[in-house]
Amino acid sequence: MKLSELKTGDRAEVTAVTAEPAVRRRLMDLGLVRGTELEVLRFAPLGDPIEISCKGLLLTLRRNEAEGITVNQLEAAESRPVAWHGLRKRHRFGKRA
Amino acid sequence: MSTHRTITVALAGNPNAGKSSLFNALTGAHQRVGNFPGVTIEKHEGFLDYKNYRITVVDLPGTYSLTPYSPEEIVTRRFIIDEKPDVVVNVVEGTNLERNLMLTVQLMEMEVDLLVALNMMDEVEEKGIAIDLDQLEQLFGSHIVPISARNRKGLDDLLDHVISVSEGCIEIRKNKITFSAEVEKAIDKISALLSRERELDAAANNRWLAIKLLENDREVYTQVQKYPVWVKVELALQEAIKECARLHSTDPEALITEDRHAFVHGAMQECVRKPKATRASVSDYIDMVVLNRVLGLPVFFLVVWAIFQLTFTLGSPLMDALDYAFGLLSETVAPHLPAGMVRSIFVDGVISGVGSVVVFLPNIVLLFMGLSFLEASGYMARAAFVIDKVMHRFGLHGKSFIPMITGFGCSIPAIMATRTLKSRSDRLATIMTIPFMSCGAKLPVYVLLAGAFFPPAMAANVMFGIYLLGIAVGLWTAWLLKSTVLKSDSEPFVMELPPYRWPTFTSVVFQARMKAVMYLKKAGTLILGAVILIWVASNFPRSAALEAELARETARIETLTVAPELKAERLQKLEARIEAGQLEYSLAGRSGKLLEPLIRPLGFDWKIGIALVTGLAAKEVVVSTLGTIYSIGQVADETSLSEILRSDSTFSQATALSLMVFVLLYIPCVAAVGVMKKEVGAWKPVLFYSAYVLTVAWIASFITYRLALMWM
Repeated sequence: MKLSELKTGDRAEVTAVTAEPAVRRRLMDLGLVRGTELEVLRFAPLGDPIEISCKGLLLTLRRNEAEGITVNQLEAAESRPVAWHGLRKRHRFGKRA
Repeated sequence: MSTHRTITVALAGNPNAGKSSLFNALTGAHQRVGNFPGVTIEKHEGFLDYKNYRITVVDLPGTYSLTPYSPEEIVTRRFIIDEKPDVVVNVVEGTNLERNLMLTVQLMEMEVDLLVALNMMDEVEEKGIAIDLDQLEQLFGSHIVPISARNRKGLDDLLDHVISVSEGCIEIRKNKITFSAEVEKAIDKISALLSRERELDAAANNRWLAIKLLENDREVYTQVQKYPVWVKVELALQEAIKECARLHSTDPEALITEDRHAFVHGAMQECVRKPKATRASVSDYIDMVVLNRVLGLPVFFLVVWAIFQLTFTLGSPLMDALDYAFGLLSETVAPHLPAGMVRSIFVDGVISGVGSVVVFLPNIVLLFMGLSFLEASGYMARAAFVIDKVMHRFGLHGKSFIPMITGFGCSIPAIMATRTLKSRSDRLATIMTIPFMSCGAKLPVYVLLAGAFFPPAMAANVMFGIYLLGIAVGLWTAWLLKSTVLKSDSEPFVMELPPYRWPTFTSVVFQARMKAVMYLKKAGTLILGAVILIWVASNFPRSAALEAELARETARIETLTVAPELKAERLQKLEARIEAGQLEYSLAGRSGKLLEPLIRPLGFDWKIGIALVTGLAAKEVVVSTLGTIYSIGQVADETSLSEILRSDSTFSQATALSLMVFVLLYIPCVAAVGVMKKEVGAWKPVLFYSAYVLTVAWIASFITYRLALMWM
């Protein structure tokens, strides 16, 4: 699946990077190569770009750039207990983390 | 202090690694800023004297990589290859080592004398990160010097290392990173082929060329293509591509990058111990608010509003003060000069010309203090993230927003602020939208016209409409440019959100000072020249007949036996009338008349034509010229001028609207054009742009005038 199809909180592993040369190069320079794990942190208030965390860095990319990154989803957002995401979910759904 | 040897040091590193703070800490005040040849990328150069050495430091632009995709990367690479600095200091951010070392690896491949300055050691210690420096030095071959540029720690140690390396006391081992077997095989084969070409062999490092060829590097391609050996090299490359696809199902470029990442990742595993991050950091908490779905935009607009307020609310009293100071200067100087031409040249030409340049300084300094604060604190990247979607729709970048909004205050600092945009095409497009944002100088024109021809409630709506029209035309222009001439090389939005940092006061002030000097030196001369030119055009040639009439009438009034107040009033009226006559007689006046057939369809006569010509000096001059030309003399306050305009037969609501639209859209003031030329780097696009805005202004005013005639 494509990175652009992931949802907030999803974790995934990069399997291929295709984009026009300059963009691809930048993606790879910032660590998005095969085998890298990433997590979708949030979408911008207007829904684009996307913020991801990868190798301890916070990266941003537009949806159309994220379309070039093929990923393997690792686990769904719900099953992962992370302090600050949990906090937000508790408010939203009334669930306990 | 006697200096024996000069050493050239180049600082290379990722954006935000602290290169500039190191550069400032090292060179202090001994700096100069220029552009790298051929590109509008700033080249900061400075020097320091240390232990009988004069060390020249060049701050290269921040890059993630050494590919030829962005001008920054090309500049960095060319500088290292062509200028051959004695030592390359790679500034790496200690808290973000893994990504930073990716560039180190690429510098290693170039086999230069490389020193690694491990910056932000204070933060590294604070966060409890342990780095095994000896082991890291073993792996990378170069010496690693821990520093903290902010606190000026470790700088002497770094300089001692620089001297030792350049004197050959420390040998920098040229470690090689080993790539995957297939890549290595291809590298060997290609570099063997390249070494057959004697000229090429002497000029460059074959292994590096081979790696770059495999990475699909177009600069190296054109370099090697010139030689006969290219035929064989090309075959070898194709074979390598096939092998990579067969064995790794990818291309050599990706494989090489993956290998570099693997090397760096391995080194990190071996040498760096990070404490487990259990809680979200302060940065994360700030981001939860600042990038929040609901709060993100309000916070963004609040910040932009604050910057705007800082620049213009705080700046305008300073501007007024400067204006006043120059007025005072004119008044003090005037009596010491012989009356007539010489006095006029000095007082009205030179002093007010210089004044018109200097008057923008408070805005520039304040804006850049604000912007460098945002940049250094880490919010700028987030602001771009929040607003990018809107900007991207018009082909712009998220970072275009702040310069554009600054344009509502004044185009000059706004155009200079586009330097935060990395891609040239994004920058050009943004620069060309800025003049359409109604700047502060256009406001008096709107106030006069809207106030004279519309009831108060309606006037506000009219002005609001004018502002909206400017935004619409600006965005439309950006979209037009980005979908035609500037279609290529948009900056990818792939970027890093740096952790929040508290910017140091000195760095903020430093940035602002730099911009101020740059403005005065580069744009200032151009603007000054143009302002004086317009002054000359509106004062020459002078009509001798009018001068004679002035003398004759003055003498006549002097002899009259009336009250002194009445006499003074008559004299004033006379002077105003003669002044208007002279303006009509001058070059500006004649060009206004010459323009009349062109602007007739917009509802303008030659008087407005003159105002539009002199308005090129600064938009608010339109008002004062109208004042002169309708000869209301020294009492040019807006109420009386608006009365005169109302009673004038050429003026109607339609003309007023049409004129407002034209003033909004036509060529920006000479100061803005000067800065634009400076930032764009060439006259051609600026002239083309001027033609474009004139056309747009004409068409828009024409439509406005005709529609208004129909409906009003």
